[in-house]
Amino acid sequence: MSPAWSLVEVAARPLNREERDAILGDSLEAGENTWQALCGVLGLIARRQLLLWKSWRPWLSVFGFGIPCTVLLMAVSMSVTCTFDRLMGFKVSHWAPTGHEGFTLLLCHIFLLIAWSWTTGFTLGSLSPRTLWVNASLGGFLAFFFARHLLDMLGVSRFAPFLFLLPAIWGIRQSLRGIRLSFRPAVLLATTMAVLMTAAWTNEALWLPNWLLIIPALFLVATRSGMPGTGEASARVSQAR
Amino acid sequence: MLGEFEYLLITAASRLGDDAYGAAIRQEIESTARRKCSIGALYTTIERLEGKGLISTWMGESTPERGGRAKRMVRVTGKGARAAKEFYDAMMRVSRGASWAVNQTGDTSR
Repeated sequence: MSPAWSLVEVAARPLNREERDAILGDSLEAGENTWQALCGVLGLIARRQLLLWKSWRPWLSVFGFGIPCTVLLMAVSMSVTCTFDRLMGFKVSHWAPTGHEGFTLLLCHIFLLIAWSWTTGFTLGSLSPRTLWVNASLGGFLAFFFARHLLDMLGVSRFAPFLFLLPAIWGIRQSLRGIRLSFRPAVLLATTMAVLMTAAWTNEALWLPNWLLIIPALFLVATRSGMPGTGEASARVSQAR
Repeated sequence: MLGEFEYLLITAASRLGDDAYGAAIRQEIESTARRKCSIGALYTTIERLEGKGLISTWMGESTPERGGRAKRMVRVTGKGARAAKEFYDAMMRVSRGASWAVNQTGDTSR
């Protein structure tokens, strides 16, 4: 096996094992050179990706949840960092997104940030796992834009907008590992988030657009509402992907 | 109704019988239809036809010329054969009287 052929093998990694065997075997049997085999594999992967976009799921995942939630979560992450800095007595910029809240509301915001990020990640992973790379690429672009244009002006750490990443990745990983959230835990999570958001809102510590961040939790409740507690509704959802 | 490439694939698989698998179908299409058949087009169509229940597939044996890799075998189902016959009949009917279809009656029921 030539070293160039290893490139074809790497390109074929996104395909499942049986399919990879069949396609690479066909290429070898047809006597294709490395370039022809590589074009064949990449062509198949591109066609598969295009076909995925015939469904509404990737569109909702990227434009309904991915982009709006990433922007809002980056803003919340910065707000939490700046509030923490202010409460700890560190100097914060005049433009820094921090309000009047004390430690209690900060804790409330930290919990909400984790819950918003986790539910967003879990929803993205459940909705369209094979197009997660699009969400990741667009998220990377937004992060680059944030880091380049806003952070210097606000005088905050370059890591500040990315506090949401760990719980979001945790949520994505759990959904990809097939862990299913049944109806009752989904309702409990959404209710807790709504109560804490209301508390923050009444204390003027919640930005109006942040209400949108409860939508992934409500989506999880809605998609699990078919058969309470059994997880069968989610099984149906994953079969339909 | 089937698409043109779907018809080609089902017909090639039917002609090959027990020897119908990815590379063989591709070669059959390229030699009989005299058109290029990419792996991407072939396998996405196989997947679509299988989803419609027009063909069935399973993993077959591996051979040394395939670097020890298994073949994806294809068999046309009864539903697939009926769909191909419908397509063929429709093409015959629609071609009746066309200048390039002289001496064709379009009657396939005999």
